Amino acid sequence: MAVPLNTGYATSKLEEPPSRHHPSAPIATQATRSFHRNGHCRRELLNRLTMKRFVYINDDDLSDDLYCDNRISNRKYTLLNFLPKNLWEQFSRFMNQYFLLIACLQLWPLITPVNPASTWGPLIFIFAVSATKEAWDDYNRYLSDKKANEKEVWVVRQGVKKHVKGFNTVNKAIVVYVLVFDRVAVEWEVSMAVQAQDVRVGNIVWLRENDEVPCDLVLIGTSEPQGICYVEGVIECPNPDRDIRRFDANLRLFPPFLDNDVCPLTIKNTILQSCYLRNTEWACGVAVYTGNVYGWLQLLLSIVYSLLLFLGNETKLGMSRGVPEPKLTAVDAMIDKLTGAIFVFQIVVVIVLGIAGNVWKDTEARKQWYVQYPKESPWYELLVIPLRFELLCSIMIPISIKEAFNKLKAYREFMVDDKHLDFVSLDLVKSLYAKFIDWDNEMVDLETGTPSHATNTAISEDLGQVEYILTDKTGTLTENKMIFKRCCISGTFYGNESGDALKDVELLNAVTSGSPDVIRFLTVMAICNTVIPMQSKSGAISYKAQSQDEEALVRAAARLHIVFVRRNANILDIKFNGSAIEYEVLDTLEFTSDRKRMSVVVRDCRSGNIILLSKGADETVLPHASAGQQTRTFSEAVDQYAQLGLRTLCLAWRELEEDEYREWSSMFKEANSTLVDREWRVAEVCQRLEHDLDILGVAAIEDRLQDGVPETIETLRKAGINFWMLTGDKQNTAIQIALSCNFVSPEPKGQLLLINGKTEDEVCRSLERVLLTMRITKSEPKDVAFVVDGWALEIALKHYRKAFTELAILSRTAICCRATPSQKAQLVELLKSCDYRTLAIGDGGNDVRMIQQADIGVGISGREGLQASRAADYSIGSKSEIVVGLDGNLVVVIGDGEMLMAGGDGDFVLSQGDFSKIIFAGPNYGSSVQFNSTSSFSFISGVSGTSLFNSVSLMAYNVFYTSIPVLVSVLDKDLSEATVIQHPQILFYCQAGRLLNPSTFAGWFGRSLFHAVCNGGGHGLVTVAVVDEATVMVDDQREAALFLLIGKIITGNAFQAIVVFVITIHAYAFEKSEMEEVSMVALSGCIWLQASVVAIETNSFTILQHLAIWGNLIAFYAINWIVSALPSSGMYTIMFRLCRQPSYWITMILIVAAGMGPVLALKYFRYTYRSSKINILQQAERMGGPILSLGNIEPQPRSLEKDVSTLSISQPKSRNAVYEPLLSDSPNATRRSAGSATQFDFFQSPSRLSSSYSRNCKDN
Amino acid sequence: MNQEMTAGASKSSATAAKKHSKKPKYRLASEIQQELLEGSLKLKAAFGELSKAGRRLEDSRFTQQELPAWKPILTPAWVIAAFVLIGITFIPIGLASLFASERVVEIVDRYDDGCFFLNTNQSLLLDYIRNPKSNKTCTRRLTSLLFSVLSNLTTLIFQVPKKMRSPIYIYYQLGNFYQNHRRYVKSRSDKQLRSRKGEDEIKDCQPIAKSGEKPIVPCGLIAWSLFNDTYAFSLKNKALTVDKKDIAWKSDKEHKFGSDVYPKNFQSDGLIGGGKLNHSIPLSEQEDLMVWMRTAALPTFRKLYGKITVDLEANETITVVIQNNYNTYEFGGEKKLVLSTTSWIGGKNNFLGIAYLCVGGICLFLAINFILMYIFRPRGFYADAEEEEKDEEDY
Repeated sequence: MAVPLNTGYATSKLEEPPSRHHPSAPIATQATRSFHRNGHCRRELLNRLTMKRFVYINDDDLSDDLYCDNRISNRKYTLLNFLPKNLWEQFSRFMNQYFLLIACLQLWPLITPVNPASTWGPLIFIFAVSATKEAWDDYNRYLSDKKANEKEVWVVRQGVKKHVKGFNTVNKAIVVYVLVFDRVAVEWEVSMAVQAQDVRVGNIVWLRENDEVPCDLVLIGTSEPQGICYVEGVIECPNPDRDIRRFDANLRLFPPFLDNDVCPLTIKNTILQSCYLRNTEWACGVAVYTGNVYGWLQLLLSIVYSLLLFLGNETKLGMSRGVPEPKLTAVDAMIDKLTGAIFVFQIVVVIVLGIAGNVWKDTEARKQWYVQYPKESPWYELLVIPLRFELLCSIMIPISIKEAFNKLKAYREFMVDDKHLDFVSLDLVKSLYAKFIDWDNEMVDLETGTPSHATNTAISEDLGQVEYILTDKTGTLTENKMIFKRCCISGTFYGNESGDALKDVELLNAVTSGSPDVIRFLTVMAICNTVIPMQSKSGAISYKAQSQDEEALVRAAARLHIVFVRRNANILDIKFNGSAIEYEVLDTLEFTSDRKRMSVVVRDCRSGNIILLSKGADETVLPHASAGQQTRTFSEAVDQYAQLGLRTLCLAWRELEEDEYREWSSMFKEANSTLVDREWRVAEVCQRLEHDLDILGVAAIEDRLQDGVPETIETLRKAGINFWMLTGDKQNTAIQIALSCNFVSPEPKGQLLLINGKTEDEVCRSLERVLLTMRITKSEPKDVAFVVDGWALEIALKHYRKAFTELAILSRTAICCRATPSQKAQLVELLKSCDYRTLAIGDGGNDVRMIQQADIGVGISGREGLQASRAADYSIGSKSEIVVGLDGNLVVVIGDGEMLMAGGDGDFVLSQGDFSKIIFAGPNYGSSVQFNSTSSFSFISGVSGTSLFNSVSLMAYNVFYTSIPVLVSVLDKDLSEATVIQHPQILFYCQAGRLLNPSTFAGWFGRSLFHAVCNGGGHGLVTVAVVDEATVMVDDQREAALFLLIGKIITGNAFQAIVVFVITIHAYAFEKSEMEEVSMVALSGCIWLQASVVAIETNSFTILQHLAIWGNLIAFYAINWIVSALPSSGMYTIMFRLCRQPSYWITMILIVAAGMGPVLALKYFRYTYRSSKINILQQAERMGGPILSLGNIEPQPRSLEKDVSTLSISQPKSRNAVYEPLLSDSPNATRRSAGSATQFDFFQSPSRLSSSYSRNCKDN
Repeated sequence: MNQEMTAGASKSSATAAKKHSKKPKYRLASEIQQELLEGSLKLKAAFGELSKAGRRLEDSRFTQQELPAWKPILTPAWVIAAFVLIGITFIPIGLASLFASERVVEIVDRYDDGCFFLNTNQSLLLDYIRNPKSNKTCTRRLTSLLFSVLSNLTTLIFQVPKKMRSPIYIYYQLGNFYQNHRRYVKSRSDKQLRSRKGEDEIKDCQPIAKSGEKPIVPCGLIAWSLFNDTYAFSLKNKALTVDKKDIAWKSDKEHKFGSDVYPKNFQSDGLIGGGKLNHSIPLSEQEDLMVWMRTAALPTFRKLYGKITVDLEANETITVVIQNNYNTYEFGGEKKLVLSTTSWIGGKNNFLGIAYLCVGGICLFLAINFILMYIFRPRGFYADAEEEEKDEEDY
């Protein structure tokens, strides 16, 4: 049987029924069943000692709990460990530890400035929210596991012998044919369906077409015509490992009937969990690796082990999946960093105020007789005041952190964002973002109605930060559906005009007129394959093919009236124009990746002629053309088709002499039965027959891309996002697809560089050449992509990691073919280690690791099953629509739903260093206001650590008043979807902050400090600072931003804080300075200012925004009125008194005007005179003005070396390197591109190399 | 007209029916089938509509993020208008506030130093003020703010600067007194103040919680440090009655301080702080205490002492006899006696008026600047963007 020409199959797919590899498949009889049964203990011992597992086939001893059952569990928690585990996880974050510390300190009444409830309340609330969210997520995981676990699976058990009932009669009595070696069939009933979780190692699992494979199976039989074998024996296989490419096992039979009683099994004999059975009516296999939870016997052991080992899935995929780590968003990580930074700042504040407090206490307070300081104080007395201040300052963290979070994010995006996210609402907002993904109608798969789903609700904001998209090919970019499009038969091109050969009148005419060349061509298409036609009752014929290519060819032939009707053992029935033609298949010369062609030898039953039919890649077929034949037309055709992105196959044939065939046939049989070097010898023998071929023509097949893929990739690339394609596919196929979906720009702009080689040296050389080329060409407006195959990748990652990393940074596009799942994951890891944000998309089980590794994993729930989407953070249907806006979040879903990309989180608002916001506004600035007021207050309260605000107000402020506007900020859109899609470049500006050059530590620290001081001190010098700020922002690095930020949180918000504070204490001086009143005035000032800040930062007011902003304000009053009406509350009647005073309202208006005036002025100034690209778009969008070109972005990789551009050497165009025909030999291309690269060696001295290295590789 | 039309329609339908009736009475099975098919198709369509409608409801504009939105942008017109508006509303309000504040007549007299010569030695001073038996009576003649500077030097005859209409509020003002000190502000027990049952709730009151073994009512530093200077006013040698009723908040009298709570063991032994309380009057009537216990947020504060319910004419001379009991000498605090009328904006406080005038002025100034900028460089907008682009290209 031929291996498909097209290896468009993902590695996980069922490759071949193993029975073919073992035509003499070993057989045993039932009588010997119990021959070799061992006791429990002995087996276990055996397993432990040999590190092997022995799988006793169909051992119905179910109590055998040696191996785990097939229960899948993706759950993170159990009912018992939820609380401790979740708490542990939450507390592993610095911020939470900090909060706990604060909360504990608050329990000490001596130092607590406010009621402990004001910290414990929010803390518990926050933890509860997080825990609930986790629990909910876990519950959903449990549900989906349960669904998978309870799926029905048919298991063959030793049953009562029953009548043959055929396959389709009764579901519950499917019969397995058991072929005994003397070809007597014995039938066994297939037992009832069991749940997937109950499948045990050793069970024989019965699968029908389109079933999902529940666990790793060793195939023992399929529906293929060669029949089935049912074996009794033991499979000896290694303990589970994660390498999905290897499986070295032996099958022993009881008793050893045949001489070679050990029958080797390889990975080809297995089908792995979560694959789907395709194109095979049924298959059955022995479960060898199952589930992921140990059997109950080992439960106790496992508890011990679980502390040391990862207890997981024992199936290959399960193990290769790796441990999913909780994903922290960039922002989360930054928050933690920032918490540390703010903590340090706090310590400084605390020390300063603490010392001041103690000094004041000793000099002044002792004189204040009414305070009654004791003469002698305990040893800890000195600590009390600093600790009090620490607690007061702690108010600053939760809030300013999120503020910082926003600013930080904004800085990363090269713009400042002032969403008022705060600590509590952050999680809620994230969930809401996630919900919007779930809800979006435009992301619903139109065909199946599968909506998109955000599994991980915590990382929404990272969608906008993606810089690299790593995508699977098959099923993601392409539909995995091949369609015959064009052909060239003996020099005549068909289908060139219409684009579809099947509709080409000329071809149809040629068929009807019976042009011999065409008929032969079609015959090869129809029968040179391993396709099995299936005729349904209605007469319609469907084809079962392992290779989509072959299926496409056969279908096309059928459309052209040469219908492949039946495959009856070796007899093939062809129907042509009503007449039936029979061919007898004599031999099949299988496809191998070395030969790159396949042939069949058939005998025409009418004439008795023996014919060799071949099809294969041009470079393996054309050289074997008969001496006289001109092959130029064909190679031209191949070139032409390849340029169109089509996959090409050359078809050829030769009539064989009876003698020649007979002679060859015996050689072939001999070669086939050799044990040593069989493959090589068979290939050699095949070679002897495949010569002097009569080339019939070239067929071109289209691997259809998903709709809209090229456009979407184009859009995303415009937005500055880099694409990497990681596929298990072959190099040429991958390149073709890459070309056709705009991964690589067509010649002359694009250029492909190949890295390959089998040995270290070769790979090294290849890699260096590519690197050199890359460095030189990157200054040109060229699209340079590199192509690497799995083998070279393995070597490169192992030995030349640094060079490869550099390459990864330099190139915007890469194609990695023949990549294993773990390699895919490694690549993601590599990019992540360079501090890039990655998004991985895939649909198959082989993408799971990559998806989990990536910052954002997107799974497509499509034909390949649900494994990918289960593991992913976002799952989308395979036919979702193209573009989705998520709150101005650009979520682009490529074509029929294949790619999801989000941008900007709605944070397009601001542009480079939006000065006004940095200085004046602040998310949750209110709390900083509070903090500042509090600390200012501390100076007028004798540095004693009295809180200006009462506990209730503090708590309410943190939890409530500041949260709601934040929630609504989610809904704020800066730009409409349409605009964003039209100008994807804008996304680039959101990310541009990440492309900044790193400068020295001292440099940025000094500068940021300077700016903090400058900005803090010189609010008046606005205009000067705007310019200054804008220029500095470009140079600043993110960390610099961090410090700048901290400075600004303090200084920037100090402005508004001081406004509130100064106005309050002056307006409420003397007889009005009653504490409750003053605090309420200050608090309402904060609220008013906050509402104004939110309002001014909101870009689009929907009803929700209005509700949140003004409703919040009203709610503030309502709540305070209610509290004021309670006699027991501290602020009884306060609010009523205030509201009656005209001076209160006058004060409020003053606070708003004084606090917001400068903000508005600055914002206006920036907007009009220093407008950013986003501002421009906003104006254009809302005023209907013309949109000027934003200019094309050519996102440069980080750390460009400008001087390289002086070395502008024109790269010789190596057209063929790009347009490799589908099945052409790759080394060809390598040589070319490598050859062109070598000449640059002169220009690059080694020292330069290393220097650019260190600059390019971002060492983390 | 309408009727005609409907009539016409019914006619035509009638003719159609007639035509129909001409058809054979039996119908082909296929016809029926066809009709059924059509019917079912219609039904399907209807259901489709329905489900669509349902879906529409489900996928509301909220979930699809398509709520109608107002998207304001900062056009020059808007911004300039806003600033002008702020300017022209703020200036009148500022003027009004300033005017109101100016109309308030206020007489402030610092008497702590005046009643005691500052050149006396500090320890003597403290001995004097701490000694309950020393004579602390001090006679002052109140004057306007303008001349108060002179009051330290000699005793002169001072006059009311302007006519003061009743009620005239009498405040005492303390400076450098930290009623907001953490240790101080927390040292009280609201439960104890509220009702008799809370008498033993004294755990917050440290260090003034117990006298011997008995709880002090009202406990805590605040009550203990009760202000105890007293003032007696006379006008033309005739005593002016000071109304000390209703100087505390009504809410305090009714809810915070219980009518069944009587002072107990207050200032009875050990350290004596400030004023004493009449043990036979319930807390709900001890208005001085209530006023004092409304702690001030700032270290300089005024508290209401009483009211004078008669008008004072300009140039009238008031004499005050002060019992200078309260010890501010120890920490250098100030004591001032304040007589003040009031206005809609409160006492004399120019801050709001001036702030309003400033903000309004600045806003107008900004508005004018923006207008000028707009005239001379109407839209830096696109030009700038292009320039920037050029700059980028230059790089």
